[in-house]
Amino acid sequence: MNTVLSRANSLFAFSLSVMAALTFGCFITTAFKDRSVPVDIHVSKVMIKNVDDFTGPRERSDLGFVTFDISADLQPIFDWNVKELFLYMSAEYSTKSNALNQVVLWDKIILRGDKTKLNLRDIKSKYFFFDDGNGLRANKNITLTLSWNVVPNAGILPLVVGSGHKSLAFPETYETAKSY
Amino acid sequence: MLSMFKSIPTHMDYKGQKLAEQIFQGVILVSAVIGFIYGLLIQQFGWTVYIMLAGFALSCLLTLPPWPVYRRNPLSWQPPLPETSGENREKPQENLKKKKHK
Repeated sequence: MNTVLSRANSLFAFSLSVMAALTFGCFITTAFKDRSVPVDIHVSKVMIKNVDDFTGPRERSDLGFVTFDISADLQPIFDWNVKELFLYMSAEYSTKSNALNQVVLWDKIILRGDKTKLNLRDIKSKYFFFDDGNGLRANKNITLTLSWNVVPNAGILPLVVGSGHKSLAFPETYETAKSY
Repeated sequence: MLSMFKSIPTHMDYKGQKLAEQIFQGVILVSAVIGFIYGLLIQQFGWTVYIMLAGFALSCLLTLPPWPVYRRNPLSWQPPLPETSGENREKPQENLKKKKHK
């Protein structure tokens, strides 16, 4: 500690250790929090088509179109350890050929500081709702849930499912070709 | 240029070094505690980091330059020995010469 550099080295190393301890403290204060909030999903329009799926085998597959509303208040999730939320809406169902299918229809990123009260109406799905085959037609039970990934400042990234889901049924017949 | 920086005296005596270490550890720990509590209250980790950085800057200012308060207990060196140092230097050289002849 006789020279400036030696003192500066000592000081800087100590500061970094204290900073690491503070970050751990930040993690500990929020590690066991429940990050689930109630979510309200409402479906306004359901349609199904049978089209060529160019990404899969050369047979026609079912393509679903769902228009939905989401309302949720995500304010309780944000605390000093949350940087952003990655929300996604997924549809889960079972068909004759596959026992469990999960398809992501829509997603959104909410940063800390953005509006946390979600009140979105008439959202069309962002991604194609293709089925592996023809299992969507007349499928009575398709469950839509909103889930999110919590991205923290320090710690684990939990995957939380919102408490609230909506079941819907697809119609029996295909739509004739319409301009979407 | 570098020799000019190296010639600036930055030493502190031992008691001064101990005092400097205690000061910077104290300042940084206190600012860490204040920062943690404030960040927890307003739920923004950014403020915790800012308060820590302020504590770091303050302790740099207090302990890096060799203020006079760190030089209050200088070591009392013995006074230098007079002329006998010339005789001491000759003896080891004689021993070397003898060994080489062998």
